[in-house]
This record gives sequence, C-alpha cells and structure tokens, in this order.
Amino acid sequence: MDFINNIKDNFYLNFVKEDRYLYILNGLKNTLLITIFSILIGIIIGLIIAIIKTLTEQNKNSLTLKILNKFCNLYLTIIRGTPIVLQLMIFYFIIFSSVDVPKLLVAIIAFGINSGAYVAEIVRAGINGIDPGQMEAGRSLGLTYGQTMRFIILPQAIKNILPALGNESISLLKETAVAGYIAIEDLTKGGDIIRSRTYDAFTPLIVVAITYLLIVMLMSKLLNRFEGRMRESDKR
Amino acid sequence: MIKDKTIIEVNDLIKKFYDVTVLNNINIKIKKGEIVVVIGPSGSGKSTLLRCLNLLEQPSSGKIIFEDINISDKSANINKHRQKMGMVFQHFNLFPHLKVIDNIILSPLKSLKLEETAANKKATELLKKVGLEDRKDSYPSQLSGGQKQRIAIIRSLAMEPDVMLFDEPTSALDPEMVGEVLDVMRQLAKDGMTMVVVTHEMSFAKDVGTRIIFMDDGKIIVDTDPKSFFEDNTNKRVKDFLNKVR
Repeated sequence: MDFINNIKDNFYLNFVKEDRYLYILNGLKNTLLITIFSILIGIIIGLIIAIIKTLTEQNKNSLTLKILNKFCNLYLTIIRGTPIVLQLMIFYFIIFSSVDVPKLLVAIIAFGINSGAYVAEIVRAGINGIDPGQMEAGRSLGLTYGQTMRFIILPQAIKNILPALGNESISLLKETAVAGYIAIEDLTKGGDIIRSRTYDAFTPLIVVAITYLLIVMLMSKLLNRFEGRMRESDKR
Repeated sequence: MIKDKTIIEVNDLIKKFYDVTVLNNINIKIKKGEIVVVIGPSGSGKSTLLRCLNLLEQPSSGKIIFEDINISDKSANINKHRQKMGMVFQHFNLFPHLKVIDNIILSPLKSLKLEETAANKKATELLKKVGLEDRKDSYPSQLSGGQKQRIAIIRSLAMEPDVMLFDEPTSALDPEMVGEVLDVMRQLAKDGMTMVVVTHEMSFAKDVGTRIIFMDDGKIIVDTDPKSFFEDNTNKRVKDFLNKVR
C-alpha cells in the first residue's frame, strides 16, 4: 500500500502540482516540431545533393556540375565529421547570434542541414541500387534522361529508400534531445526542469524515456505498414 | 521507302574502354528489310557493336548513320532517333513497378505524346499478337522469362520502330522458353521488320537470317549470306567456332 501511495505522491508532485505536466506536453510539441520540419528540410537537401552527385557521375565533362559536386562533398564532410551538438551551438551562438531568429527555427535549420547529409547518402544509394538496365531500357525507348529518372528510376528508388529514411527520422527524433543546449524546452529538457524543481529524478526522467519509446514504436509501426503497402505492387 | 535503301550505316567505328579496344574499325551497311545476325565468340564485341548502333555506348570514333542522319554527332537529338530503333535486352529490363500494359504505353504516352486510349488500343493489339492479352494487368514479377521477353519485344514495337535490335534475347531464358520468343521474332521477320540480332541460336541464324556477320577480336571476320556461312566456309576461326557451338 505504501508503495502505491508513494507512486501517487510522486506523480502528483512531478506532474500535477503547479501544472508541471505542461513541461512535458510543451516539450513534446517542440521535439515533434523540430523533428518533422528538419526531416522535411533534410529530404529536400538530400534529394538535391543525390541528384547532383548522380548527374556528376554520368556527365564527367560538365564544369558546373564538377564545382557543384565539390561543394556537396565539402558539406557532407563537414556535417558528418562534427558532432550535431556542436553544429547546433555554432548555428545558435555564431551564425544566428546577431540576428533575431526564434530558437526553434534555428534548431530546425541546424537539424535539417545535418539530416540532409545523411539523407543524401540514403537517396544516392537508393538510385545506385537500381539495375542500370532500367535506365538503358528507358533511354532505348526514346525517353529523355529526366523522364527515365522521373517515371522509372525514382519510383523504384523510393521503395528502396523508405526503410532507411524511416530509420533516419527515428534517429533524428532522438538526436533532437540535445536541443536543450541552446535552451530550447524540448521533451528531454522538460523532464530535466521538473527534476530540478522536485528533486525527484526517477519519475520525470523515466516518463520522458517512455514517451520517446512510444513515439519511436509508433513510427516503426507506421513505417512497416507503409512498406507493406508499397510492396503489394510487387505481388511476388 | 524503297526496299534496297540503306537504313543503318556504320563508318570506321572504334570503341575503346580505357585502353582496351573492343571494336576495331567496323564498317557495315544495313539495308531495309535485312535480318542481320551477328555471331561470334564471347568478348568479340557483338553486344558492344549493337549498343553503339543506338548510342547506348558512345563510339570512341567513327560515325553511325541512321536514316541518313549522323546520330553519333553531338548535335543530333538522340531521343528522337532511338524512338525509331527498338532494343530488346538479354535480361528483358521490364519496369518492375509498372503493370504490363503500363510498361508498354509509357514511352508512347511520354515521348510520342499519344492519347491514352490510342496507346491502350495499340498495346492491346500487340498483346493479342503474342498471345498475352490476359496478362495486361500483371506485374512483370508474375510472368515467366519467356513471357517477359515477349512483353519486352512488344514494348519496343509499340513505338513503331524502323529497326529492331536484339541483344542475346534468348540467352537468359530456360530452354523450354526459347521457342516462344524465337517464334515472335520469326513472325516479326516475316512482317518485314529490319532486324539486327546478336544471338547464339544457330538455327535461327540459318533459317531466319538473311545475312550473317561473324565477329572476333572486335573485327568483322566474315560478312555473308547464311548458306555460304554455314555450308561453304573455309575460314579457320569460323570453323572452330561452329564446331564448338554445335
């Protein structure tokens, strides 16, 4: 009985008293906002870079492409070679230090640019994974490079990419937990604030952990269902 | 067009992959209505030659002239010319994400800008011709190899090409499916299609071919009619090859 009362008291103290549950709710909202918008930015950047890189491989003579490709490589090297926490801090304390931009937006930009580097590799692998015979068949029928890409290569590549893209979203969701470094009250920070008010570490931190876990499980489930539907068109 | 008109002309074609010369100074004239069968040992450059004809491989030097236009010239609109040159691949290369019917009508819709109803009608006629009209809503993965290759052939025919190129169309098939694909090709030959066929099917070469080109080491060794090729050949390399494939 004592044990149950204890839990009840802890719950009241950590979440109900002074409306502390709002830290969790508000944090969850910010975490989701950052994740959703930065994965969108990531997909856009990733697609552009993947297409530039694929085009460069196919047209070795174009100078414009070569220069663009160099920039892409520089971007990929820097982003993948430094910690995301540091990138976030550089964006907030250096690049956006003198302009008045909402913190949340800075985080979305930083995480989006970071994610783009990983998505680019995913998309490129997806395009490269398509049998070269598909491009040849499309071109031999008189379709242009662009038409073949759009109607034949990319639709097949997306199927290959989807699982990896889902995993990227899941890791991005967890990586956003460092948003607290620029004083954003995300889910992790929310739990931490409650801990510092109530001096009870166990309850808020475990609740935050369970929240992340539930979202990740939900995302995995949605992803599986979506993949299944995509596979139906193969009907093997 | 007149029957004797040259449709494809290859002038001094050289193709190198890095420093390996795969095609060494090839010259051919192919006339309308000819069934040219290209044979030779593996690695002799047969497939590369075929792939140079529609510029899937860029020649290192030399000219490809198709219907009086130099299509190997950089200024030529290659997509336009490829519409008139059908190609059938060893591994079919059907589009796995599209139904059979959509495989066939994709290029007529997108590059010939045909109306969907007209394209569908044409595709259904072609499907009937090869006896596969009941498979039009199947996906390629549900078809046998022979069925896939027949679909690949009519996918090219849907563009109403003037020439059909076949790159070892039966090499990836189980033996019992070779016949059904060769039958479609025979019919096509009977209908007067100009064809260039790279194959190891000697009976097809003998019965259907109107001209045999034998290649070895990136060169054309013999270029003659099937009768003299198979019966009165004195060339040692040809004899060796024929002994091996028989």
